[in-house]
Amino acid sequence: MMKKIITYTLLLVSAFVIFFPILFALVASFLTPSQLNSGNYIPTSISFANYLKVFQDVPLLQFLINSFIVSSAVTVGQLLLCSLAAYAIVFIPFKGRNLVFFLFLSTLLIPWEAAMIPNFVTILNLGWLNSYLALTVPFITTAFGIFLLRQHFKTIPRELYESAQIDGCSRLRFYWSFALPLSGPMLSALGIYAFLTTWNMYLWPLLVTSNNDARTVQIGIRMMISQESATSWNTIMAGVIIILIPTLLLLFLGIKQIRRGLMSGALKG
Amino acid sequence: MGKRWFHHSLFVVFAFVLLTVVTACGNSSNEAQTTEDGKIIVDFWYALGGNLGQSVEEMVDNFNNSQDDIQVNAVFQGSYEESLTQVRQLAGTSEAPALVQVFEVGTKYMIESGYTEPMQTFIDKDNFDLSLLEDNILSYYQVDGDLHSMPFNTSNSIMVYNKDMFKEAGLDPESPPRTFSEVREAAKVLNDHYNGQVDGFSVITHGWFTEQMIANQGGLFVDADNGRAGEPTQALINEEPGQRWFEWLADMKQDGTLGDYGREWDDHRAAFLAGTVAMYLDSTASLAGTVNNAEFEVGTAFMPTADGMDPHGVIVGGASIWMISDIPEEVQQAAWEFVKYTAQPEVQAKWAADTGYFPITKAAYDEDVLQQRYAEYPQFLTAVEQLQNTTLTPATQGALIGVFPEARERVVNAVESLHDGADPIEAINLANDEINRELENYRRANQ
Amino acid sequence: MNPNLQQPDVSTNSNKPLDKKRKKRVKEWKLFGEGMVYLFPALLILGVFLFYPMVKTLYYSFFITNPRGDTVVFVGLEHYIELFKSSNFQNSLIQTLKFVLYTVPTGVIIALFLAVIANEKVKGIEFFRVIFSSTLGVSVAAGASIWLFMFHPSIGVFNNIVQTLGLEAIPWLTSRQWALISVSVTTIWMGIGFNFIILLGGLQNISQDLYESALIDGAGYFARLFKITIPMLSPTLFFVVTVTLINSFQSFGQIHILTGGGPNEATNIIVYSIYKEAFEFSRFGTASAQAIVLFFFILVFTVLQFKVGEKKVHYQ
Repeated sequence: MMKKIITYTLLLVSAFVIFFPILFALVASFLTPSQLNSGNYIPTSISFANYLKVFQDVPLLQFLINSFIVSSAVTVGQLLLCSLAAYAIVFIPFKGRNLVFFLFLSTLLIPWEAAMIPNFVTILNLGWLNSYLALTVPFITTAFGIFLLRQHFKTIPRELYESAQIDGCSRLRFYWSFALPLSGPMLSALGIYAFLTTWNMYLWPLLVTSNNDARTVQIGIRMMISQESATSWNTIMAGVIIILIPTLLLLFLGIKQIRRGLMSGALKG
Repeated sequence: MGKRWFHHSLFVVFAFVLLTVVTACGNSSNEAQTTEDGKIIVDFWYALGGNLGQSVEEMVDNFNNSQDDIQVNAVFQGSYEESLTQVRQLAGTSEAPALVQVFEVGTKYMIESGYTEPMQTFIDKDNFDLSLLEDNILSYYQVDGDLHSMPFNTSNSIMVYNKDMFKEAGLDPESPPRTFSEVREAAKVLNDHYNGQVDGFSVITHGWFTEQMIANQGGLFVDADNGRAGEPTQALINEEPGQRWFEWLADMKQDGTLGDYGREWDDHRAAFLAGTVAMYLDSTASLAGTVNNAEFEVGTAFMPTADGMDPHGVIVGGASIWMISDIPEEVQQAAWEFVKYTAQPEVQAKWAADTGYFPITKAAYDEDVLQQRYAEYPQFLTAVEQLQNTTLTPATQGALIGVFPEARERVVNAVESLHDGADPIEAINLANDEINRELENYRRANQ
Repeated sequence: MNPNLQQPDVSTNSNKPLDKKRKKRVKEWKLFGEGMVYLFPALLILGVFLFYPMVKTLYYSFFITNPRGDTVVFVGLEHYIELFKSSNFQNSLIQTLKFVLYTVPTGVIIALFLAVIANEKVKGIEFFRVIFSSTLGVSVAAGASIWLFMFHPSIGVFNNIVQTLGLEAIPWLTSRQWALISVSVTTIWMGIGFNFIILLGGLQNISQDLYESALIDGAGYFARLFKITIPMLSPTLFFVVTVTLINSFQSFGQIHILTGGGPNEATNIIVYSIYKEAFEFSRFGTASAQAIVLFFFILVFTVLQFKVGEKKVHYQ
């Protein structure tokens, strides 16, 4: 009994501390500026005025749509390209495939920031600034994804592959009708992870977007701060809450897959 | 077989969707963009947030509604620094806007970048009468007799103080301190009166105030007449004027009367409005906002001067509008129409009344809206008077430096080190050395 | 894509050895070609956006560039020499190391603590697990904005609390003494979700039998924690530390939003420094030299980690 009380106390206190910033943002988003200035944090009434204001002042919807398109495209691209590459490494016994795999792995050591300057120049020369291309194409393959899927493909029994071949099943077809469906949980874990990391990207979108056509929500928030911080932190907090909703929702719905997927990546290494 | 083909086509569709999604937004034509009803689109980047930004949007809306041929799209680009960063990255590409607002210290950089079309071209073509503009403002932006950009928002630094606190602490709210030592004394009185709960004085950690303080004492920022007579090779901020300013700050830091609210203008204003700072140096730019939001009486005073010196005056701060070259001629022409609109007396008068900036056009002072404003808020007049008292010398004309934004960063670091208790002379010497290195790098990169 | 490629070749037995060799080589090339078809898109992307730029960064680091980003003057190793002489860059390196030191151990320990208490089998535990994971769903911009507001010098919640307690307001983001700590706290908070998920998974993978036999031996809670849990968890911990370390080195968004590298460069950690040099000041040369230094730093740290980790980590 005593142990239960301690456990619950620890859990509750930790949960409050961890969740405090989000909770605080939520509360602040319902306050008026004068309440904020006086440090009075108890909302007297639920008013959505700040939420309406943020949609009026900042093209938040456009930012959300941009982020959504970019994140989805990167997710689909990563799943496709990483799985193709991992499939080739596992199922096509060509010479040098270990070398290729090693090449992929070595990219894990390159910090993206070290490649950022020439990448910016490349995007500039391609004329891709302010387009979804700049925000997606560089990210549709990651060594991490290839690695994760390779580990998983290796668990697909060889016999299954061989018997499928004897039945005249082409490689591409085996990829599409066996390898992918058998990797459902892993693909969804990688997918959710790719979506979240793309959604959260900050430095790169900051560099390659300069107008609202392609700006993602992250950059939108930065803009919102410099635009509104003089007057209305409550509006900024309303904006923050709005952009938190999609990712938190995705996280809460997909948490089991993420856990499973990330775990196998972390442990089987 | 059927099933196999089904899968294959699924695969193709999959890849196709990806490609279309990804290519949906590639667009790099070099033709004038028009709206559906045929108006020429002029992109205009601005860098003013909050109330100021709303005033910009309002001005643009008024222009768009005033005629049927041009649609100006105002896009907010963050702070001046962030906005200049964007310009540096995008100038010369199809993503560059037609017009961009750049802060005063970016002037030389912009001219030498080769990305801009001098406003002088249009001024000559259109016989635009420059004598309508304020002399001090022109003298800042004219380089070798040419006006490269159109002044847009110009401001001064002034001292803002809380009159109610002055009264409570037994100071005369109508005669604010004027010299370094008077300010220091007043700050002590205020600090003591509120038992240290209030900071007597503070200054936003921004390079601009150092520039103003040096100019006010008649000092130069760099050699070659502040870079106006040639390429500067030496920073001069560690000469006497700069030293006096840094020592003054360090003294007040030691007194415990110097508040520190960081680099953000808004954080200082919030602190002043919340009554935690009694006097601080600010730009006139958002004076309107400060006066309106304060629950006490706001006073304004001239920039303090070093003891025993007559003030030389202040440098015109703010920003100007630049036109980007490499854009279709008709867009440039349309952009020029908008630029001309911004300089009209009634537009300038409204702009100045709404914000706290000076009108760039002399005639704007005669407009009713501005006269009413000045009658209602005499605080605004301090800055006008300060500007008119300024004697024009290379010092008050302001420096022209290609690496001015970088130099500001060094100065800001030095001021921040003062807040950490560094020796003022060492701090300013260090900043001076660093700026010298920046100047040298710039010369090498542009040889 | 010929499905027959893989089938065992029965007909080759009667042919000459030379022919056999040739056929084999043809088959190998075909296989190689097929592999490349699958691999091409991935190789292309990584080649264009990682390998090529890495080489290009090295190239840039030997030049002075003009404001347009073109290489103007070849200066050899000058940028590197300048960097290591520059007190600013030394400061940047020191602050980076401090930042890593502040964020990595604390971040991992907090996440481990949360994982341990969330591994108890009590009612409603799923709710707590979701809460503890929640910061994974908070983007850097959103998270940093909230903290920026909480750190606000005059109307922030922290200074409100501090002043209610009768203390003097703390310059969270404006003093050199506090800024790096404030940024670190924000960074730790944002990393908790990810670390928690991984560590919890690691805990759940530990076989229950071990605990049961320990219970029979009469081991107490902490004995079990340090004798079983931590050793069995070491591979997972190792992974978490590696990832946190790399993330920590690459922090940018929270610094851009919270401090802009200030005050007086206190939070100008290396990635931020690269950004500022390259994109604020258009000096690709020095920025690239810094990027190369960053690359080596991460390389050395990773290698060291694996060297140390291999010895300490207990594999099942």
